[in-house]
Amino acid sequence: MWYTVYAIHYMSPSTSTDTQNDDRFENLRQELRRGSLPLAVLAALRTEHYGYTLRKTLADHGMAIDEGTLYPLLRRLETQGLLVSQWREEDKRNKRFYRLSPDGKLILKQLLIEWKSIHESLEDIF
Amino acid sequence: MALVDRYLHAVKFWLPRNQKDDIIAELSEDIRSQIEDQEAAIGHKLTDAEVEPILKRCGSPMAVAGRYLPQQSLIGPALFPIYSVIIRSLVLYFLLPWMLVWLGVTIFSPDFRADHPGAALFASLKPWWLACTYSLFFNTLIFAVLDRSQARLHLVNDWNPSALPAVRDRNVISRGSTIFQLTVVVATLATWIQLDAFRSVFHIFGTTLTLSSRWPVFFWALVVVSLAGIGLSCLTLSNPRWTRFTASFRLGIDCYSFALFYWLFRSNMLQSLSASGLSFADAANFVRSFNQWTASSAIWVLIIGALVAFFDVRRILRVGPTA
Repeated sequence: MWYTVYAIHYMSPSTSTDTQNDDRFENLRQELRRGSLPLAVLAALRTEHYGYTLRKTLADHGMAIDEGTLYPLLRRLETQGLLVSQWREEDKRNKRFYRLSPDGKLILKQLLIEWKSIHESLEDIF
Repeated sequence: MALVDRYLHAVKFWLPRNQKDDIIAELSEDIRSQIEDQEAAIGHKLTDAEVEPILKRCGSPMAVAGRYLPQQSLIGPALFPIYSVIIRSLVLYFLLPWMLVWLGVTIFSPDFRADHPGAALFASLKPWWLACTYSLFFNTLIFAVLDRSQARLHLVNDWNPSALPAVRDRNVISRGSTIFQLTVVVATLATWIQLDAFRSVFHIFGTTLTLSSRWPVFFWALVVVSLAGIGLSCLTLSNPRWTRFTASFRLGIDCYSFALFYWLFRSNMLQSLSASGLSFADAANFVRSFNQWTASSAIWVLIIGALVAFFDVRRILRVGPTA
């Protein structure tokens, strides 16, 4: 699907509306990625991370996320009981470590099934 | 690191009290980790100028803190469309016409300007400002309260598709209103003719009124415009839709009628008055006051006429050339 979107984007002829198209593409791209972030965060937290390493892990996998988005999202997921956190000292600094809670593991499993189903549906439509 | 501390302090200001320290500790850890990574990459301590881009990328303190707060709105998306329609109607059909009338009176009425010299002219707008402030304030307050009450749930959830209003074609003319207009015009015309209203002298209840020499001209001109109105009503009865022709015809009739009344109001309509028990001086005073009143009211005829013409022109544009 990403290939299709990028191909359409880059194959379009150069016109004066290119900037406008870039903006529209960027908005839609961000909207698409925003919807996938909770799933990516839950999946990454199958192993314990603190905020900064979690960001780096996600970025390494092509899901870069800024701190202003990640930390409020972590708080929401923790409030919903999907994550558990703990302040611990590491390298002489206090860090907050997050990992999936038992409920989080269950929800992640369900979300992955849903994600696959969406992916298959989209592949069908394309 | 003074710059980072200043940034964190600014973020902290906007955060909810019970989470301030926790959020700041976590954010501080993240920013310091970024700085350490960059320092390790370039091999020296970052200067304030080099820290700045990192903080800029994090976002403004208020925006960063805002992401930790629950999404809030004074009037939510469920009620906002109704609120918006009410405010727009209020502005378009009440506050704007009021302002236009004030402008019209200020520009065209020397008497009004003389009565309100200098700052008093703007002070005469005080009721308008009060109406703006109160109407916007109370509407917003009522909707904000509704949005936080159970009434919102009732409005959003309790609805019935079959109770929705029918789609209204704004170019259709109701036969009922046409018949009503036709009846009023015919009855008025018949009464006027029966009363010989084209004369200049009238005897009513022991009083003799002498009208201006313009009155008979006005009367016959009004008969012509009434007959045109009857013609238009007959046309719309046979085809109850506005067409460009009928809408333009309506505009012509309205402009002609208001111009006629304006002309009459500016003509010293009442020439003389006599009645038993009324002295000549009192009668002359009454005649002068009446004529002054009609002359000063002429501006209102012009303003109302302009508003009516505005809506008539809008109708012509709405109908379009193909209808």
